[in-house]
Amino acid sequence: MRLKLLSCEILYREMCAAVARSPHQVDVEFLPKGLHDIGGAGMCARLQAAVDKVDASLYEAVLLGYALCGNGVAGLTARSLPLVLPRGHDCITLFLGSRRRYEEYFLSNSGVYFKTTGWIERGQNLEQLGLTREKTGVGMSYEELLAKYGEDNAQYLWEQLGGYTKNYRKLTYIEMGIEPDGRFELATRREAAERNMEFEKVRGDMRLIEKLVSGDWDPEEFLIVPPGHRIVARYDEAIVGIEPAP
Amino acid sequence: MADLNKLYQAILTGDQKTAVAVTEEALAEKIDPQVLINQAMIPAMNEAGAKFECEEYFVPELLLAARAMKASLALLRPLLAERGAEPVGRVVIGTVKGDLHDIGKNLVASMLEGGGFEVHDLGADVPAEKFVAAVREKNPHLVCMSALLTVTMPAMRTTIQALKEAGVRDQVKVMVGGAPVTPDYAREIGADGYADNASSAVKKARELLAA
Repeated sequence: MRLKLLSCEILYREMCAAVARSPHQVDVEFLPKGLHDIGGAGMCARLQAAVDKVDASLYEAVLLGYALCGNGVAGLTARSLPLVLPRGHDCITLFLGSRRRYEEYFLSNSGVYFKTTGWIERGQNLEQLGLTREKTGVGMSYEELLAKYGEDNAQYLWEQLGGYTKNYRKLTYIEMGIEPDGRFELATRREAAERNMEFEKVRGDMRLIEKLVSGDWDPEEFLIVPPGHRIVARYDEAIVGIEPAP
Repeated sequence: MADLNKLYQAILTGDQKTAVAVTEEALAEKIDPQVLINQAMIPAMNEAGAKFECEEYFVPELLLAARAMKASLALLRPLLAERGAEPVGRVVIGTVKGDLHDIGKNLVASMLEGGGFEVHDLGADVPAEKFVAAVREKNPHLVCMSALLTVTMPAMRTTIQALKEAGVRDQVKVMVGGAPVTPDYAREIGADGYADNASSAVKKARELLAA
């Protein structure tokens, strides 16, 4: 089979490693991680544009290197090729190898934030999406806030907007076994120490990623969207489902 | 004489110092706190909300307006309490269990407070039983829940379930929100209302309480 893979750049190294070993010919296109920061509807529109650009005469299916991703894939429609999506809330499911393992780990580790190679070296370019940090304020440096809002207000905004990182207590590095050396683990250890967070290293699992690019689409773990249907969020064990596109 | 328009502008532009100074001046002149609230503060917050909705204001501007409003309101509160003035409504708010994201929830809490509500903020990662306890203790009109992750959204359903089991569901309205939450999901889990941003949350809260 010849397959087209549209993947979030956060999975760059993992997807490349899996594609290299796939029995199929897989053409890969990576999309910016920043799509997650433009809201579910905005992300879906960008993904749909990428799906619609795929030349249907060349491929048998479009693979999605995504999960539900904050409803970022909800509404995504299969035109003439089926879409294949791993069932999961977000990419951590793909790194840990199963949604059950992710949910168990997430729920028993309150305040955990994850790091992988992609979470360290990708996704810095919000500007390429026309999205400025000024819009949300999140991610602005203290100096930027100071210049824009003055000292008193900058101090307040720094405390308020830094909140989402301030609440995290634990940094977990997921090692996938494809890393060239220990640099990513080291970077995570350093960040955890600087931010006074607990550090843990867990072993990732390439199985879901490999199944995706190898055509092993067990319906329990993968959603197959037939042409003329679209993805919906399901709020249950299945996480995602389909409905006929209007 | 204290300048109500100056107070309105100070809140709208997030100038806390000026807002506090004008409020102090007005109080020294024995201006009725309710006049300050109704003629300057609430209109300023409504305008900030409108600017946010048409993307002239973003999260930082809204936070600063709410902060200026709250600082002024803090000066008026003792006077309002003295005369037994009731808030527009009492609200218990929190981010649900498992979820630590609180920027949006904090913004909604600030906007509600700015809108004249008495707000009890339970923080983030709030278990269902804590919502139940707060409903019993604070006797709110409205319970607001936030989630930023689809993986923690089910905790909204379990919290509503817990309110039912405790026999307090019918004495409150429940409003939900957060990036991945949808109006359909709100209906499905039996919430009374949904709002998709901090400004519309205030409008929705007023609507729910009027209903």
